[in-house]
Amino acid sequence: MELLAQSFHMNKAVEGTSYAKNSSIQSKIISITKCITEEAILEVLCKNLPESMGIADLGCSSGPNVLSVISKITNIIYAKCSQSGLPKPPELRIFLNDLYNNDFNGIFGSLPDFYNQMKEVNGNSFGPCFIFGVPASFYGRLFPSNSLHFVHSSSSLHWLSQVPPELDVKASTAINKGHIYICESSPQNVLDSYYRQFQKDFSLFLKSRAEEIVPGGRMVLTFMGRRFMDPTIEEGCYNQLELLAQALMSVAAEGLIPEEKVDTFNTPYYAPCPEEIKLEVEKEGSFVMNRLEVFEIDWDGGSAEASNTVSMGRRVAKLVRAVIEPMLESQFGSDIMDYLFQRYEKILDNHLSKTRSKYINLVISVAKNSEGLGN
Amino acid sequence: MEVNQILYMNGGDGETSYANNSLIQKGVMLKAKPILEESIVRLSLSSNFPECVKLADFGCSSGPNTLLLAWEIMDIIHATCQRVNRKAPMFQVFLNDLPGNDFNTIFRTLPSFYEKLKKEKGSEFERACFIAGMPGTFYGRLFPDCFLHFVHSSYSLHWRSQVPEGLVGESGVPLNKGNIHIAKTSPHNVLKAYSDLFEKDFTLFLRSRSQEMVPGGHMVLVVMGSTGKADSSSNQSCSIWELLGITLNDMVLEGKVDEAKLDSFNLPYYAPTIEEAKAVIQTEGTFNIHRFETFEVDWDCNIDDDMSNKGYSFGKPGRGKYVAMSIRVVTESMLVGHFGKEIMDDLFERFSSKIEEYLEVEEGKHMNLIISMTKNG
Repeated sequence: MELLAQSFHMNKAVEGTSYAKNSSIQSKIISITKCITEEAILEVLCKNLPESMGIADLGCSSGPNVLSVISKITNIIYAKCSQSGLPKPPELRIFLNDLYNNDFNGIFGSLPDFYNQMKEVNGNSFGPCFIFGVPASFYGRLFPSNSLHFVHSSSSLHWLSQVPPELDVKASTAINKGHIYICESSPQNVLDSYYRQFQKDFSLFLKSRAEEIVPGGRMVLTFMGRRFMDPTIEEGCYNQLELLAQALMSVAAEGLIPEEKVDTFNTPYYAPCPEEIKLEVEKEGSFVMNRLEVFEIDWDGGSAEASNTVSMGRRVAKLVRAVIEPMLESQFGSDIMDYLFQRYEKILDNHLSKTRSKYINLVISVAKNSEGLGN
Repeated sequence: MEVNQILYMNGGDGETSYANNSLIQKGVMLKAKPILEESIVRLSLSSNFPECVKLADFGCSSGPNTLLLAWEIMDIIHATCQRVNRKAPMFQVFLNDLPGNDFNTIFRTLPSFYEKLKKEKGSEFERACFIAGMPGTFYGRLFPDCFLHFVHSSYSLHWRSQVPEGLVGESGVPLNKGNIHIAKTSPHNVLKAYSDLFEKDFTLFLRSRSQEMVPGGHMVLVVMGSTGKADSSSNQSCSIWELLGITLNDMVLEGKVDEAKLDSFNLPYYAPTIEEAKAVIQTEGTFNIHRFETFEVDWDCNIDDDMSNKGYSFGKPGRGKYVAMSIRVVTESMLVGHFGKEIMDDLFERFSSKIEEYLEVEEGKHMNLIISMTKNG
């Protein structure tokens, strides 16, 4: 599989299966972590109010969440500035980053109304605000040195830059047959491959951000994770992917897709535990960890519209589809997708009737050292 | 017509996309290259040359020309730095166009652009260049104060911020009946409305860029121009827009287009004269003009490249079609918004024949202005 950067994206605006219409979990996650985001931004503003602030949202995707994140961040800044009785609000340089195939047109089209709304809501506190789109992989440098004060990333860092190379092989040498991620029976070499790729990616992420963030700047990162060191313990998203693998295998058993294709498909995903995160942050050395918290969220985002007509299995399948379909399509073709997700829905319904299932999310808040290391 | 929402080049990379039909604009860029090069070299040799050069292209559109410009500029800076033994800078390239522009198509080509950079310039170049999109109207501020070192805009500043007001008279009668732009039958107050709007727009453009540029920053602008009211000595000659207007008139006479619709349609477009453009620059006052020149391109510039790209095997008969398509990809969004999608194919079929006939007896050329300036300070 080619480097993910070139092809990876969420489902575009096509009726009911788009990411824009199916991102309620990601939206809930953003709400839950709002306090931590607020705390981090206020810390940046407390030290010394910069005249011009660089803010980046990495893995912004598209849809309503993008601008709702930005408006939460800017509201905090403008409120604080107005409270401090400053003569003029800071200039905000806001960078929305995602990969090359992300739907930036969708975001850009919403900007004129968004600017108008910001002016209305913030009145006199509203200052110069420039919003840019940055198409590139965040595994590597994106911005000039010392140009950012606050970095936000939500529901993105569990995506690896590529499928671990040892897993991305032909069918005869495949080591994760019948599965698409780590599971209870994963051999050590599968676990090691995934962990190594995560280490490589996350350390590069931290190193790049360290050069781009000013001393005293902050980062709030939220992503899927796990509580326990042993990755074969069932929890979080792990099971959801294993159930998807079961759906794929059952479709393969009907002869509708070749089994080798399932054997050679692995998701470029990793859910780290707190110890793994702490280790990389300490190794990189430029950041101090202020907070690391774990929270749970239902597989359907704790949907308030839980209805009798739409099963939880269907709701969950839709949310997963919005995110993973492009990857599945490039391996299995688009024709089989509807059938596959109907099968997946049934398997999910069956599983969810017996077990309550939740995602585990980690949120970390770090501060860039004020002096010395990593500048 | 809400220009900011409705003006965009045809997106994607299909048959009627701008990406596939913008060789004329590429030809224009090529003609402007010596002046662009001169400006960039001057920037590269300046004493306070930055570690990270920030350059912006205003009206970048969507297609191969977009990144071609970025490549050319980085190439020239790199070569100049090598010549004078200076460390090559990092680049932040900002691509600006209206929010309706197809940025997705440009961004999707970035991986192969970076690959090419790495191959031809070495791997340190790959991560030395950051490309970002900045959507919004350039009639107004888009960037922070003192941010940009180099500003470029080609074939965009002839688009107005809106259709001029005052093209409908007091009694509600359209003043520019039967025309879609300034034509031989346009009354003087129509010309004045367009000219005044140009002055207002261009002043705002310059003022905004002036605040956004560092002192000593460089700017190169290429824009369609006009020689004045009497376009040429031959009273048979027409602008391309007049021909389009005439084509629409024919359709009105055949009952295919509603007359009131044609009368109420005016392009948000104005190509200034040399004097008009100079006057605005001098009045705004913060820029020094280094060069102010004019050049022409044929309406069918680069038609041979287009023919060999697309595998056409016929000769001259392709001219009308080529020129008509070059106008279609640029105006379709506005025409569809006003006249509806259904008449487009017929309109451009007729337009293509009209152009073909015209070019048998007249020369079709676009006149262009190229201006190279630096910001005072």
